[in-house]
Amino acid sequence: MTPAIKTNELTKIYRLPGRRTKTAVNSLSIEVPQGVIFGFLGPNGAGKTTTIKIILDFMRPTSGSATVFGLPTTDPATRRLIGYLPEQPYFHKFLKPMELLSMHAALAGLPRRRAKEAAASALDRAGMTEYADTPIGKLSKGLTQRIAIAQALVGEPKLLILDEPTSGLDPIGRRHTRDLLVELRNEGRTIFLSSHLLSEVENLCDVVAVLKGGKLVALGTPDEVRSSSTYVKVSTAPIDDDTRDRLQFLGVGIERLSDSTIVRIDPKNLYAVLRAMEELGLPVIKIETERESLEEAFLRLAA
Amino acid sequence: MRAIWTIAKMSLVENSRKQVFHVLCLLMLAVIAGSTLLSIFTEGVKLKILKDLCMTCILFAGAMLAIALGATGVPNDVETRTLYPIIARPIARWQYVVGKFLGTCLTVAMGLGALSAVFGALIYYYQARFDWFLPTAALFALLEATVIAAVATALSTIATPAVAAALSFMIYLCGTIKVGYFGGMLDRASSGLVRTVGTTVYHLLPNLECFNLKAALVHDDAIPLSYLVLVAFYGVCYAAFALGLGAVVFKGREV
Repeated sequence: MTPAIKTNELTKIYRLPGRRTKTAVNSLSIEVPQGVIFGFLGPNGAGKTTTIKIILDFMRPTSGSATVFGLPTTDPATRRLIGYLPEQPYFHKFLKPMELLSMHAALAGLPRRRAKEAAASALDRAGMTEYADTPIGKLSKGLTQRIAIAQALVGEPKLLILDEPTSGLDPIGRRHTRDLLVELRNEGRTIFLSSHLLSEVENLCDVVAVLKGGKLVALGTPDEVRSSSTYVKVSTAPIDDDTRDRLQFLGVGIERLSDSTIVRIDPKNLYAVLRAMEELGLPVIKIETERESLEEAFLRLAA
Repeated sequence: MRAIWTIAKMSLVENSRKQVFHVLCLLMLAVIAGSTLLSIFTEGVKLKILKDLCMTCILFAGAMLAIALGATGVPNDVETRTLYPIIARPIARWQYVVGKFLGTCLTVAMGLGALSAVFGALIYYYQARFDWFLPTAALFALLEATVIAAVATALSTIATPAVAAALSFMIYLCGTIKVGYFGGMLDRASSGLVRTVGTTVYHLLPNLECFNLKAALVHDDAIPLSYLVLVAFYGVCYAAFALGLGAVVFKGREV
């Protein structure tokens, strides 16, 4: 099956003042299968937004190519298949949601008769029907975000590119959005999701890609991206800086909380570390094994 | 075409609610209304002054609205990122530029329509008959504003709102005095290079004087239809040229 998105050695180099350059995306080759929720992760400046902009033809790559359902991204007609939610969306404040969505339905190429129906349906799916006639300037950030989600849905796209879709939403809104994305995926649409909320990504995404410095550093299911190895987590009493430095010398991870300290230990070094803790007079309050979370994998891969 | 019209409508709705639109229209309405207080002149002279003043207001309002709205539409959309959801749709960049330009023109037309209606009512009050040349003069004021809007929109695809507005205003000023002032200067230029460069710039600048039918309106002069057709054709061609340049520039711009 044709991938929903395919990039081939995609590279984008920005020219900076003083003959300097910055490589924002470096030979990125990914394939996003159809009908999945694809998480696109990376720290700030990793190249996520640049990649999205190239897919949407907001800018052209320095080299390489990108296609959407096998069609070139440089053809405006390809964007008929795409619904886009930008990060921190902003709309003309005097427009009402119904007006805005009707216009976007028209821009998406829907016939006049269907445009209004599609706008009403998108508003309903985003849970915003009651605000259909409220000027956008009077809506809160969270409600504007929901309007933006509705805007991405209008036009019945096969591919949704969502940049931080739950930004500004309260827990109810986030839950509603997550359920909506699962529903859309089950309808056969493809969702390309860029988010910093890794706990959400872990529960939602079928496939994740991690970018660092413009390069792909991991690609697979959340399970595959997380390390398969486990580590031992030991809870002990609060420690001072000197004790922390001594423990870190043993190659452990330390997390200092207000009333305790968590020490993460590679099972291979468990006994050596426990002996060191005993010598330092640190009590063992709790000991358990854990598998790396997606956030920890992200920090390992991209930090 | 539907995409262009949709963007134009979006632009019209937004522009017509901007403060600059309301303030300019109200200011010009106040000047037009104030012109009726010219009681020191005889009726005949008073009518001529009224026509002159009102037509000047309409020309000025059209130009200023075209600059204020045309120079800010695209850059504001880029800065606020309102642009992104729009160009993420299956529309070409040139359709967006033309749509914004059309939205500006429609807003200017709305403003000039209101001012012209008040002007027409005043003339009817003083002349006891409607001046049928007024719609033509107002239409050509709109055409002049359209040319300025095209220049402002084109400049806005590469410059910030302030720079685009400043350059548009300079071009407006130069275009208004071009024939009378620069034409004479070029004739007196001694250097061949100055004359060549000057002549090129002279022909590139729009001739905005030709759209000004104020004198004909005030003195009830007849203007040949052929002149009006030629000027209208010139206006449409110049606007298309300016807009075309803007569309080409915007097509290659990274956002």
